[in-house]
Amino acid sequence: MPTTAETKHSNGRNKGIFNNTTGFSTLITVTVLSLAWLAGFASRLFAVIRFESIIHEFDPWFNYRSTAYMVQHGFYNFLNWFDERAWYPLGRIVGGTVYPGLMITSGTIHWILHTLNIPIHIRDICVFLAPIFSGLTAIATYLLTSELWSRGAGLFAACFIAIVPGYSSRSVAGSYDNEGIAIFALQFTYYLWLKSIKSGSIFWSICTALSYFYMVSAWGGYVFIINLIPLHVFVLLIMGRFSQRLFVSYTVFYIIGLLLSMQIPFVGFQPIRTSEHMAASGVFALLMAVGALKYLHSLNPKGQWKQLLILGGLVAAGTVFLAVVLLTYMGVIAPWSGRFYSLWDTGYAKIHIPIIASVSEHQPTTWSSFFFDLHVLVCTFPVGLWYCIKNINDERVFVALYALSAVYFAGVMVRLMLTLTPVVCVLAGIAFSILLDLVLKEDEMQTAPVETEDSKNLYDKAGKLKKRTPEPVPAADSGLGMNVRSGTLIAFMILLMLFSVHCTWATSNAYSSPSIVLASYGNDGSRKILDDFREAYGWLSQNTAEDARIMSWWDYGYQIAGMGNRTTLVDNNTWNNSHIALVGKAMASNESAAYDIMTMLDVDYVLVIFGGAIGYSGDDINKFIWMVRIAEGEHPKEIHEADYFTERGEYRVDSEASKTMLNCLMYKLSYYRYDSGGSPAGYDRTRGALPGHRGFQLTYLEEAYTTEHWLVRIYRVKKPDEFNRPRLPLAKRTIPTSNNLSKKPAYDLGPMTSKRRKGLLKNKPTLVKGKKMTKLE
Amino acid sequence: MEALYAIPFTVLEIPNIKIKKPSWLQPPSAMTTFSLVLFSYFLVTGGIIYDVIVEPPSVGSTTDEHGHSRPVAFMPNRVNGQYIMEGLASSFLFSLGGLGFIILDRTHNPTTPKLNRILLISVAFLCILVSFFTTWIFMRMKLPGYLQN
Repeated sequence: MPTTAETKHSNGRNKGIFNNTTGFSTLITVTVLSLAWLAGFASRLFAVIRFESIIHEFDPWFNYRSTAYMVQHGFYNFLNWFDERAWYPLGRIVGGTVYPGLMITSGTIHWILHTLNIPIHIRDICVFLAPIFSGLTAIATYLLTSELWSRGAGLFAACFIAIVPGYSSRSVAGSYDNEGIAIFALQFTYYLWLKSIKSGSIFWSICTALSYFYMVSAWGGYVFIINLIPLHVFVLLIMGRFSQRLFVSYTVFYIIGLLLSMQIPFVGFQPIRTSEHMAASGVFALLMAVGALKYLHSLNPKGQWKQLLILGGLVAAGTVFLAVVLLTYMGVIAPWSGRFYSLWDTGYAKIHIPIIASVSEHQPTTWSSFFFDLHVLVCTFPVGLWYCIKNINDERVFVALYALSAVYFAGVMVRLMLTLTPVVCVLAGIAFSILLDLVLKEDEMQTAPVETEDSKNLYDKAGKLKKRTPEPVPAADSGLGMNVRSGTLIAFMILLMLFSVHCTWATSNAYSSPSIVLASYGNDGSRKILDDFREAYGWLSQNTAEDARIMSWWDYGYQIAGMGNRTTLVDNNTWNNSHIALVGKAMASNESAAYDIMTMLDVDYVLVIFGGAIGYSGDDINKFIWMVRIAEGEHPKEIHEADYFTERGEYRVDSEASKTMLNCLMYKLSYYRYDSGGSPAGYDRTRGALPGHRGFQLTYLEEAYTTEHWLVRIYRVKKPDEFNRPRLPLAKRTIPTSNNLSKKPAYDLGPMTSKRRKGLLKNKPTLVKGKKMTKLE
Repeated sequence: MEALYAIPFTVLEIPNIKIKKPSWLQPPSAMTTFSLVLFSYFLVTGGIIYDVIVEPPSVGSTTDEHGHSRPVAFMPNRVNGQYIMEGLASSFLFSLGGLGFIILDRTHNPTTPKLNRILLISVAFLCILVSFFTTWIFMRMKLPGYLQN
């Protein structure tokens, strides 16, 4: 990425040489920012170039589907959209359970472009939205950093954030997710907040509130803002930095922001009803109390006001705190939700909410993630913080708090690296700017002091000692000479160059996989595309009934809905734990128990992902233990996690695996008829083991489709009148083939209620069943 | 009004005490704050929270072809897994690099003599380079294909 390296060089100079020329510095600023935008945009296109312009992963598919719905049916229909294709049989009120900012943003862009008669497909807007917003994030970061320190630091920070892997991991082309636009909103809100606290003007406070509104509409991470800003105010109060500006900006921001945030249907009354938002209102009350005391002080400036202020402040803080605790206890305020609670009590999710702990991006962070996502910035981050703490003022208190809280949260969850990355870029920008400033500034004074130094040395006589003491400052300064300084400069440049090499490499290799299309590389470097997912979803959309219900683990719910256009039972919006647990229970039970659950849920097809043939590690067998855990959480009597491990506590699939494991539905569906994977036939390359139970038959299900590399396997759930044959003795089976027989099992199964009959009738005109009938006759 | 306030004090005698702020309670200096911050940063980047939640062994072990058990310092091929010692070692290097940059800043203090300054600069550079390249090597041990292809 030569552009960024160049930009960094130029911005280091702009402070010194072109200090007085506003025109020049503006030109350089604009150039650097647009180059940063360009570099950021370009480095996010690996996925599009390697594969195609396609939506990635899981959540983006839902966002894309609802955006397409909104563009097609209009905004109000979108807000009232009841999606009966998800969470069968419950359905989902999409308009009320979604942050609509993302859809509105791309819908607006689409509308503008179409008004200008540029007929671009909504999918392309969705794919390229995040890379475009990365440029805006760079600009917002530039503004934030120049507010904090200097414009040079701002340019550094902008260049960093444009390419840093921690941010591009969530904003490559195709990853059409809330975070892509939310980081821009986050940085911009913080910039406006600093602006308003600096000026104390109502205008900037209202701008902050508006930007906050956009953030609330875009991402659930807005809770970070509404806790960080009050924390900032609180710390400023403790430090005795109360001012009229602080009072005006916070009160205006809080009230307007509160009202605006409650306009989002999904947020609703949460800002006044839940604990996550209580810090903000508590600080609001406290600020009011302190403001009142200050006002009284201004009426009568004599007397022991200082003590009274401190005492009054403490009493007010205590009262506010007790009030919040009391209200929570009385149930007026909802306690912390599990997702936020697990940030404080880090072991909480692991014990109590397996569905949160099961998500890979909710895992705690290791050192290598820090290094991988931030590279050299991880070292310069404390340096920038050091400068901020050393030269503290109101704004730098904010950035210090931002840094500390973000570091902690990033340590708890890998996913929150995303909130850490911007502040790391800001602080690293400050550090690099100062260090380069020192190195380069002396360059100009170089010529003059060198000579004086020489002359000084000549006149260095005993009698002149006293006079000399203040003087050697410039002399010693330049005494290091050009060499050291240019050496330092070159070292910095090499560091930055390695940084950009790393960023490009990480973005290209780790974060640019669509995960819908897989690529495998042969020994000779040839590339093979594995398109099994789309093959399977395409099959679903072509060969199953319009209202067929597909059961799969929740990871694939959005993709089935988005690409296969079929009804799913559970999906990535994990709002109903018991429903997910039911699916998990079906997967973890043996075939007949699972069949009961599946008939109860009206399942027509079951879809499992099996990576054993190609060595794909993200398949369902590897996720299976989480299904068991989640199912155990809801059905502790039927499902026991320990049953699925060997006696030594290992999780394996070969002949040593436990009996429960070998007979559960997930195992059977994965290994049914499996004979690929090299030698010996049926070898599982992901687990590196030969499955322990092979050559079995399925009673209640039949294989409907298996993709080319065995990656996706689809099974059809048999109707009750289809699976009686294995139960009958051989002699009987050949005799009568009439319709009477096919109705028999309905009674065989025991308590067949009329309810089930209804379901049977409804599904009669399916294609598959017709085929079966002709076969029988 | 004044008389009303005075009523209790006809009975009570005002004690002659003065409440003083305890002398140890003063705002911490920038250096103390920063050291605390740096220390917690050291812990967090070392993945201490990961260590608490996941409870990995301090050093892993593997069996070679002769059946001997050999210690492994780095959990290979996984970015989101680690042993305790490798995390602490790398976060130590991160902090070392950060300190190197800070020392580099101190060299511009005008009162430092020339020799000290050169020493400081070399120490700073040593810190930065050592930390940078050792982390690089660590990364290569963790991800064998790092920065290749």
